[in-house]
Amino acid sequence: MEKKERHCLPKLPLRPHGTSNNQRFGGLDIFIFIILLLYVIAVIFPFYNAFVISISSESAYYNSDLLLWPQDITFEAYQSVFTNSAMWKGLGITMVLLIFGTAYQLFFTVITGYAMSREKWFGKNFVMNMILVTMFFGGGLVPYYYLIKDLGLYNTIWVMIIPGAIDTFNMLLMRNYFASLPKELEESARIDGANDVQIFVKVYLPLSLPMLATVGLFFAVGNWNSWYNGMLFVENSDLKPLQLVLREMIASISSSVESPTSKTYSEGLVMASIFFTIVPMMCFYPFLQKFFVKGIVVGAIKG
Amino acid sequence: MELTTIAQRQSKWHNLGKQINKSRFLIAMIIPAVVFYFIFCYIPMYGVLMAFTKYYPKLGIWGSLTQHFVGFDNFSLIFNSDPTFLNVLRNTVLIGFGKIIISFVSSIVVALLINDLRMRRFKKTAQIIVTFPHFLSWVVLAGFINALFSRTGVIDDIIVALGGNRINFLSNGNFFLALIFSSDVWKEAGWSSIIYLATMAGISPELYEAADIDGATRFQKTWHITLPGIKPTAVLLLILSVGGILSAGFDQIFNLYNPLVYDNVDILDTYIYRQTFQEMINPGIGTAIGLFKSLVSFVLVVVVDRVAKLCGERGII
Repeated sequence: MEKKERHCLPKLPLRPHGTSNNQRFGGLDIFIFIILLLYVIAVIFPFYNAFVISISSESAYYNSDLLLWPQDITFEAYQSVFTNSAMWKGLGITMVLLIFGTAYQLFFTVITGYAMSREKWFGKNFVMNMILVTMFFGGGLVPYYYLIKDLGLYNTIWVMIIPGAIDTFNMLLMRNYFASLPKELEESARIDGANDVQIFVKVYLPLSLPMLATVGLFFAVGNWNSWYNGMLFVENSDLKPLQLVLREMIASISSSVESPTSKTYSEGLVMASIFFTIVPMMCFYPFLQKFFVKGIVVGAIKG
Repeated sequence: MELTTIAQRQSKWHNLGKQINKSRFLIAMIIPAVVFYFIFCYIPMYGVLMAFTKYYPKLGIWGSLTQHFVGFDNFSLIFNSDPTFLNVLRNTVLIGFGKIIISFVSSIVVALLINDLRMRRFKKTAQIIVTFPHFLSWVVLAGFINALFSRTGVIDDIIVALGGNRINFLSNGNFFLALIFSSDVWKEAGWSSIIYLATMAGISPELYEAADIDGATRFQKTWHITLPGIKPTAVLLLILSVGGILSAGFDQIFNLYNPLVYDNVDILDTYIYRQTFQEMINPGIGTAIGLFKSLVSFVLVVVVDRVAKLCGERGII
């Protein structure tokens, strides 16, 4: 168990270097602990505050001078979120993006990364340069917008999937990982009579499962949080992903800051909707953190 | 003489054919990527020609270019007769630059604190908690910030409870700017510290042991060993972030801002978006601003890379 964990975890320092274990736990340690504790509290507080608002009644929200803990507890906000058809529709679209979008992105990003990791082949440098140029120069939003319109992707669900096929950063991550696996694997498989496809599918892919998980998770989070393409290119409210539905609710309460009468949603409802979108992530994150960390560490050290 | 040339040429073609045949699997694998980058990155690059036209979507780029070519008029328009643009540019540089510095310092500080923390269990929990906000969207953060800082928000309530006066954080430009910086730190500092933590883990323990023998304090060890140890990584990350100065974070600002603070926090990307899709001015002008942004970013990356190489650091290009 211990060994397996060590394999997955990147080498993060569990013990600070240079402080021998038996050194006394002194004032500096307490100072560091307190600073970090305050930082952790500052990170948690917005979640806590949103939660308090979501389970307090609207009148308690407006009438209490200071709402630091739940008052007049009610689950009405959650009930209306769960009966809000726009949220469920949004969730449906987001699930489509999450499942099909992630699979699609992973497929194209991984095969590109694999090809770029192989030794010299005809056209490799040309393709590599073609890709790297796009990291430093782009056409900008407006030409992109008209391209999407010309391609006929406007106001379809495809616009939130197709343009994401390859993420250059994740592609380079995969490339670096494939390139770090020993070359002898390919040579010996070839001697055993394996062809190119078999070498990729049966030798390299199984060995890169942890990295596939990392990249897949980055894509999954991106799809779960996706709103930008939807906002730009989707008008049909049946096609709006969850985050976009949420965005419109939040925009409606923040625009009512100046004129509270024009409000359509209560604060409690919006906070409950926020939890609707982040609770799945909060549940999975503690168990998946090591994969995300692995991605950023591998990317930083080898990229 | 001629015969050999032909034979050579033939064998060259033959070799090329052999090469292609040998790498046919990899070439087949890369075709989707080539098509993808061509369509979604290179066609928009061709689309920057819109910046030199009065663009009519019906005519397309080529049609607009031949019938409504305006040369550099769009550029002279934004630079000479659009005071909003100049203000937006100033905001962009200020926010972009400020964010780079603040996130650079904050992530290193967080990494140093976590690295020096000696309580294992708290360290693990703290790391999970402080890295999590990175995975939230700015949409969610907009909701959080509203709940905290609006007129009915808890921060104002606390200030009042402590005997102060309500502050309109969301409509006062300076407070809003501070909010932009601090929400960025809240979201990203924990996550960005991971790279530095990994680099710190790679510093040779012998250096620390030697320092122990020499009687160095913890502060001295941090100053003379840890910080120099993460310097290459830090420089690399700084160079990478310089290219993004003019991007300054569309997602964040677009989700947080409101018309009352446009003067202080409107940036190029949000300005392009509003001008093109809400004010409906000619798309050629939005393209011109975008092209200006891309060119400046590109030049910045090249210059910073050269300077870093001159100073003996590893560059990126």
